[in-house]
Amino acid sequence: MTNEQTNETLLEVDAISLSFGGVHALVDVSFDIRKGEVRSIIGPNGAGKSSMLNVINGFYHPQEGTITYQGQARKRMRPHDAAAGGIARTFQNIALFKGMSTLDNIMTGRNTHMSKSLFWQALRIGPAQREEIEHREFVEHVIDFLEIQSIRKTPVGRLPYGLQKRVELGRALAAEPSLLLLDEPMAGMNLEEKEDMSRFILETNDEFGTTIALIEHDMGVVMDISDRVVVLDYGRKIAEGTPEEVRTNQSVIDAYLGVSHD
Amino acid sequence: MFYRESGQLKSSYVADQAMFPIAQDRWFVFGVLALAFLVAPFFINEYWANAILLPFLVYALAALGLNILTGYCGQVSLGTGAFMAVGAYASFKLVGFFPEVNFLIVLALSGVVTAAVGMIFGLPSLRIKGFYLAVATLAAQFFLIWVFNKVGWFYDYNLTGMITVRPIDFFGVRITGPEATPAAKYLFTLTVVCILALSAKNIVRGRIGREWMAIRDMDIAAELIGIRPLRAKLSAFAVSSFYIGVAGALYFSIYLGAVEPVEAFDINQSFYVLFIIIIGGLGSVLGVFLGSAFIVLIPILLKNIMVGGMGFDSGMAGHVEILLMGMLIIFFLIVEPHGLARLWQIAKEKLRLWPFPH
Repeated sequence: MTNEQTNETLLEVDAISLSFGGVHALVDVSFDIRKGEVRSIIGPNGAGKSSMLNVINGFYHPQEGTITYQGQARKRMRPHDAAAGGIARTFQNIALFKGMSTLDNIMTGRNTHMSKSLFWQALRIGPAQREEIEHREFVEHVIDFLEIQSIRKTPVGRLPYGLQKRVELGRALAAEPSLLLLDEPMAGMNLEEKEDMSRFILETNDEFGTTIALIEHDMGVVMDISDRVVVLDYGRKIAEGTPEEVRTNQSVIDAYLGVSHD
Repeated sequence: MFYRESGQLKSSYVADQAMFPIAQDRWFVFGVLALAFLVAPFFINEYWANAILLPFLVYALAALGLNILTGYCGQVSLGTGAFMAVGAYASFKLVGFFPEVNFLIVLALSGVVTAAVGMIFGLPSLRIKGFYLAVATLAAQFFLIWVFNKVGWFYDYNLTGMITVRPIDFFGVRITGPEATPAAKYLFTLTVVCILALSAKNIVRGRIGREWMAIRDMDIAAELIGIRPLRAKLSAFAVSSFYIGVAGALYFSIYLGAVEPVEAFDINQSFYVLFIIIIGGLGSVLGVFLGSAFIVLIPILLKNIMVGGMGFDSGMAGHVEILLMGMLIIFFLIVEPHGLARLWQIAKEKLRLWPFPH
């Protein structure tokens, strides 16, 4: 589906186990994400999908297992290190900065690329001014790409839900990530908004070659846009493969539809 | 009719990101600055300087510092009075050690000392939030004032326990003590406040300002997109304390001339500055000046009306003034919880359409 999919592994999740007290959120989960692909993580509620994303970008620290990202294995990692390493994400419940405008929210996504010191920023001449303009240009590309020019200066708290989701995607894209984690990007959207969002996700993957890991409940969307799918249930991986393979897998059908135990 | 922005097209990002992108705003600000710098010094007298303009400027600067911390970065602090004291004592000691050094440098160094102290007391913010942090900063308030009162070195073992400003010349012009002219004091303070306000505005609309606001609005999301909470919060404490420290140094050296720590920098000062930013508008540089004007001017206005206009005796007027002030604060908070800065914004939006609102 994507144009420059390779077999090179970008991220490898190896035997990850995560528990909170006695609750096992993830048990011995392994899979990999290849450079340039759209990888979906699906599963019923409480299967550990969001926990998996949180482990990948360093928000949770798994008790066991390792994550290898861009060839480097890591045991513990802070979220800002993950962000600096090129992992960006959006959230299941919108996590925008409500008091700031759309533009400022997306500019915040560029922060890891900006470096001018407090002193220059206070003067706002020379280097700091140039840096600000340079990144503003990039952010304007993102704004054009997501077709949100008209709400550039609107505080995001005033925007409707669908647009907020789009701004959040913009903030993640502004970081120019190599790996983009999307946690239910289409939750609560109507058909039209879902189509728009799918289009943006595919175009991001196509145009920028960004690798995408996606959690989604809408099976139609998942089957349409992903290259490979991994299925979790009760914290365990129960299936993995192309959408076609997963769709026909008996344990996936059981997990979603339930199975009689008589 | 006069406040139209149609036709003011921006063709570069520099123009779009200008501090005052609308020409009318720009002219208005230039006008106010021209009035403040070129006209006011000729008409200023002792009363205007000491009762109105100096406290207005000094409190605006302190409030600007607190607003950076509370309004932009979302960290509540009740230690403002103590941090002002740090700035005041730092400037006192520095002038004592290096009497020849330019007073601007002394002010900057006092700010740096306060920034260091502020960062130490900002460390708890990494673990605790909201009301609990406010209580933790109270520790700064009580501890620092106690130190300044107790340790003789800070007030040069003066028997009264007070510190009195030494005569300071700024490029040959006396700016402190009774010999300084009101115009000199006023112009010096005004210059410092304007430079610092401009810098603050630049910082809050740049990368660091966005980091602070991100931490304020949603700290977890901020961390996940690559902002280090430690750095963002401590830098907010440092910059905020720098401003408050400079304000404290000006408060002592230029406005009052002599202070005694328990009286001048007690917890009421902290609340006073907090009121200014709440009334003026959290997260607004303009709001700091509006709030400071409100808090400094309204009591004077009320007193003039009651004593001059209605013939109250001054003791009675003092009590009624406190009462009315409290009522006005509550009234304003109910009418516009986002402060005077928001009212100003609404007025501007109305003015854009005036006189044909449809």
